[in-house]
Parts: sequence; C-alpha cells; structure tokens
Amino acid sequence: MSSVYKTSRRHFLKLCVGTTGVLALAACAPITPPTAPTAAPAPLPAEKRVFKVWHYEVGYAMGDSWADAMEDFKAMHPDVELVFEEKTFEQIMETARMILSSQEVPDVMEINKGNATAGLYSKEGLLTDLTEVAKERGWDKILSPSVQTTCRYDENGIMGSGKLYGVTTYGEFVMVYYNKDMFKQHGVEVPTSLEEFEAIADKFLAEGITPLTLGAADLWPQTHNWQELLLYKADRELINNFQFLKGEVDFHGPAFSFAAEKFAEHIRKGYYGPNANAVSYVDANSVFFQGKAPMNLTGTWAFGEFMKQIKDFDWGMFLMPGKKLNTGSGGNLWIVPAHAKNKDLAYDFIDLTLAKKAQTVLANAGGIALNADLSQVTDPKVRELNALFATIIENDGLAFYPDWPVPGYLDILGGCLQDLIAGIKSPAEFNDCIAGPYNEYKASL
Amino acid sequence: MTHKGSSLYRGYALFLLPGVLAFLVLILFPFLANIGLSFTKWSGVGKPVWIGLANYERAISDSSFWASFKNNLLLIVAMTIIPTIVGLFLAAFLFDYIADKFGQGVASIFRAGFYLPQIIPLVVAGIVWRWIYQPQWGALNGLLRFLGLDSLARPWLGDHSTAMYAVMGMMVWFQIGYPLVIFMAALQRIDPELYEAAALDGASWLQKFFRITIHLIRPEIAVVVLTTAIHALKIFAPIYSMTRGGPGKATIVASYFSYQNFFERSNVGYGATIATILTLIIVLLTIGFILAQTRREE
Repeated sequence: MSSVYKTSRRHFLKLCVGTTGVLALAACAPITPPTAPTAAPAPLPAEKRVFKVWHYEVGYAMGDSWADAMEDFKAMHPDVELVFEEKTFEQIMETARMILSSQEVPDVMEINKGNATAGLYSKEGLLTDLTEVAKERGWDKILSPSVQTTCRYDENGIMGSGKLYGVTTYGEFVMVYYNKDMFKQHGVEVPTSLEEFEAIADKFLAEGITPLTLGAADLWPQTHNWQELLLYKADRELINNFQFLKGEVDFHGPAFSFAAEKFAEHIRKGYYGPNANAVSYVDANSVFFQGKAPMNLTGTWAFGEFMKQIKDFDWGMFLMPGKKLNTGSGGNLWIVPAHAKNKDLAYDFIDLTLAKKAQTVLANAGGIALNADLSQVTDPKVRELNALFATIIENDGLAFYPDWPVPGYLDILGGCLQDLIAGIKSPAEFNDCIAGPYNEYKASL
Repeated sequence: MTHKGSSLYRGYALFLLPGVLAFLVLILFPFLANIGLSFTKWSGVGKPVWIGLANYERAISDSSFWASFKNNLLLIVAMTIIPTIVGLFLAAFLFDYIADKFGQGVASIFRAGFYLPQIIPLVVAGIVWRWIYQPQWGALNGLLRFLGLDSLARPWLGDHSTAMYAVMGMMVWFQIGYPLVIFMAALQRIDPELYEAAALDGASWLQKFFRITIHLIRPEIAVVVLTTAIHALKIFAPIYSMTRGGPGKATIVASYFSYQNFFERSNVGYGATIATILTLIIVLLTIGFILAQTRREE
C-alpha cells in the first residue's frame, strides 16, 4: 500500500460519495457480477493496434522511469498507438474492481499490492497469471524473493505464495532521515543500536528540541514508527504469520507488548512532541525541511521530495539500528487484466520497465531500482539509498507494512495508535484494539 | 371533459419521461440495489452471499456505528440548531437595524459576507480550517498566543476531547450564511404595517421579534431546519478532509463509516447496511417534518 503513504494524492479524491450523498455509494457498486474472463481475441494486424497503459505515478521517480520506457516502447512498436492515461491513486482504489470486471480494461495497469486489492482481484480471476511469462523473460531473476512476496497470491488471494500476478519495478522501505548539521552541533553520531538511538533522542530532549517529527493526524505515518519497534522483537516467522494470516499471532506476546510499551514510553518522554495527533504528514515533513527537527522516520517514497526541499542543511539517512527486519516491500504492481486485448504488448512493456535503461532513470530520479546500473547513478545520496535497500534484501529483511493483512486495517491500526499517543489507551488496551478486527477477519476466511 | 383532460395528461406524460428515467436510473435503482446489498456479505468482487439480517444485527452491536450517529447528532446542533437561531437574530438585526441605520447596501454587504463560506466547496473549507487549527503555526493557536492565552492553545483536531467541537465550530461558520439569506428574504415579505401597529401598541423589539417575525416566517424556518438537518446527517466532506474520523473514532460520522466499509475495508454489504439505515432515518425525518408542517398549516 505504498501509495497510501503519499498523502497528497488522497487530497484529490474524486468525491463520488461526498458530493452526492449516500445513495451514490450504491450507484458506485457494480450492478452485475463479473463474468468469467474470456480469451483475448487475436488482434487484427491490418488495423493500428491501440495499447493502453494506466498508472498513478506521474511526478514521482517511477513516473519518470515509465515515461522513458514508453518512449522505448514506441520505438519498438512504431505500428502501435500507445495511449497513456494518468490516474489518481484514489480512482484506482475505488474503481479498480469495477474496471477489471468490465471489458473496457487497459492492457497494463498499476494497482496497489496487498490482500485487499491485488489479492482480491486475483482470487476472482480478474488478473492474468504471469508466472510463466516471468520465467521466459527473466523477470523472476530481477525480482528477489522478498520483493516477489507482494507479487504472488495464492488461491485465497493471500499474499506471499502462489502464482505471480503482478510485477513491481521498484522497492521501498522506511528509514530515519536525519539532519547532519544538528547532529554535529549537538555532538551526536549515527546510532548503531536502539539504546544509542534513545540516548540521542534523550539528548535532544534535554536540550529543548523535539527529536522526531510525526504526522499522526494522517493515520498511517505512526504505523511505521510502531512497526519499526515491533521488528526489534518480531522474527521472520511472526511477521509472516501476521502478514499472511497463517499460524499463531499472539498480540500479547513479547513482540507486540514490547512495541506498544516502547512506543508509549517514547510518546511519554516527548520524542514526538505534544501535538503529533494533530499534525499532518506533510506538516511533519516540513518541520524537518525547516531544520527544526533532527530526525524524521518515514519512507523512501519521500526521498525525492527531501532532495528537492532541503537546501539549507546537510542531511543523511540510516535504518533503525540493531535489527535485521525492516518495514518495506517491493513497490506497487503492474498487472495485466484478464480481459486485456494486447497481452503480448503488455509483456513487452513490462520488460522495458524492468530493463537497465528505465531502471537507471528510476534510480537517478531518486527511486529505488531493482535492476539499475549503479555506475550510471551520479548522486551520492541516491547511491547510499540504493545501497541501504541492497542491505535489506541481503538480510531477507523486507517486513512489509503492518496495515496489509486485513482490508481497512490502516484505519484500525492508525486509529488505535492515535488513542495510544493520546494516552487514552494503555499498551495492553492498544493490543486488544488491534487484535479484535484482525482475529475477526482471520476467522472469516 | 374527462376525455379531453386525460388526453391532455397523456401529452404531458411525455415531458415527464426524462425526469422519471433519470430518477429511476440515478436514484431508485441504486437505492434498491443498495438495500439488496445490505442483506449480503460482499467484498465488491465476485458474487454477493445472502446473509439475511446479519449486517443489521452487527450494526446494532457495533460501537463505531453508534459513535458515528452520535457525532451526526452533534453536527445537527452545529449545522441546524445553532445556525438557525443565530441566523434568525442576525437576519432580524441586519434587516431592522443595519439596513435602517446604514442603508440597504451595507446590509447586503454583511449578508454576502456571511454567505461567502457557502460558495466554497466543503472539502476546500475543511482543508483551510485544518490549517487554522494546525497546532504549531495555525491561526487559531497563533491568535491565542498573541492574546497571551497560551494555556488555551491546543492541538484542536488531534485531541480526542476537542476534535469534534473543532469540526462543529467550522460547520457553524460554514452554515450560518444559509439561514441568514433565506430569513432575510422572508422578512421582506412581512407587511411593515404589522410592526407599525405593534409599535403603536408599545411592543418592544424582542416582543415584535417573537410575536411577529418568528411567527410569520415559520415556513422558511421549517425549510431551513429540514434541509440543514438532512445535510448534517449525510455529511462527509469535512470529515474526509479534516480528520478522517480521527483521532481514534472521535469524529467518525455515518457516511464516512459507510465509505470506510464500502471502499477501504471491502465490506460492501456492511457499508450498504449503514447507508440504508442512514437513508431510512433521513426519509423518516423528512416525512415526519412534512406531516408536522401540513398539520400546522391546516
């Protein structure tokens, strides 16, 4: 759900509901159940074929990279008319299931990864199985196993295993952006353990500076701060059980208890200041841009923005130290709708987005490439960023995002965290708060 | 006569067709589909599964559902009760005093000023007010600090105890112009002789206000109360743009709760149930109101 994390998109929602009232909710629902996918008709060679691509990454590194791939595609298929339609994240979130059920589908489309989206559509047979194509074209070599986790869905639509229904062309993870100048002024160094990290925060606090900026009003940012603490005690097995709704997940076990208690302790000590629940993600970042906060824990999707906005001080990045697992995943997915008319062209296009050329464009634009020629990447910060991702991949360390397992879990987890931040829920009550809906959903499967 | 009349009506029926078709396609059919969905468990993809009244049972025991309706009631206070009362006094004040002392033009400027928020899309107003309420550099806390009232500054939308009142405050601001404009128009149709007669009898301004003004513009008051109450019940945009129902569930409202279930949690059946209950309440409220109004007129 990486793109949920880019709030600016949410602000531009097409208010299908808001403007026309409740009845519109019903009007938005598809009237007929989707029909079974039929074989795509063979394209007529005499006519100029129209190849349609939809995505919502314009203005981001991925958008730049894919625009480059589109140019290459046009050169490769001069007889094909490529039509790119820019979408918004919300449009796709709210209408994807209706579009995919219809016959008016694009040939390649970006969708959100996760059980609630890609998983649901694959389960209903709305997506093309790409397992064989990926082998033929070598995509499975480019996508490392933990990147493929979000591309594979089993027969119940649960992420992590089964057939390959989507292909991502980039990665993302959560890290700490820090103000190098402030670190130097206050005589602190990049931490190598959680204790050192806390010592740094305490030092800033003692000197009257709120050490971390957090925009908890937007619900999702705090889920990352919380999960990063969870990953100090959670192992791969627990994370996989939690994510893939398998095995036992004890919400009052050591890992979840540690995360809730630690986060509450950080809040109580004032690591995030008194206003976190009222600050938006955008505002929290701008506190960092203004040089008013020494640290900001957020995702790599904001990297390009940080490069653009920060001019007055030197900044760097580090992973939350002293642990192997890290919040992060492969990016959103290219999927080929089951009803797509030009599947052969779709595979050619995906090929180009994974190729060295487009991938290097991606890296140079501040994205995290899976297949870039890093010798062609000039900016030292971008190289550092890509190196951090390589470290996580080596550790098999991608621990995904905590809102994935259950549809709509983001509101639940983010809302319960707001209660924990406000101190109206104790750590144990917080764990009950997130356990209830999780167990309810698991039982319904 | 009968024959002539009926053929005449047949001619008119043709003109009704576009409206009837639009009503069927845009309102009646989606509404019935929504009711149908409310009896199912459906993720939005695949075949809905019939589960009878289970969604309704779930709603009754769901604390979020009740929290959302409680907040809708608070919004009726902010969007109907306060604006109607304040709007009445303001309209009378502008009409009787400002227009009298400073001229119609000045009164019109005030009226336009109060109405201005109504022409701003609610989502935009919500975003602007989010800035005003921003704890660190928002205008409201800035003003309080400027006045030396630092202790009153707080994270308005981020505090469980103030978030709903902050939303209500914004809605009062947004809503006040609407009753004001309607009431000022209504005041113009009252015969000034009534006031003159009352003045001759020695009635005070308050007496004239309660005995004449409110009494005579009752139909307009009824319209304002009904339309704003419906608006408050189906409110969505300010919650979406200001708080997303948070912090926790402090500002959740029925339509946003329905939206969350429908689109974010893929609980389409449950989302439809909430929408159906909401619609039912609005329809009952409307019928009740119209009945009360007709009885009074009779």
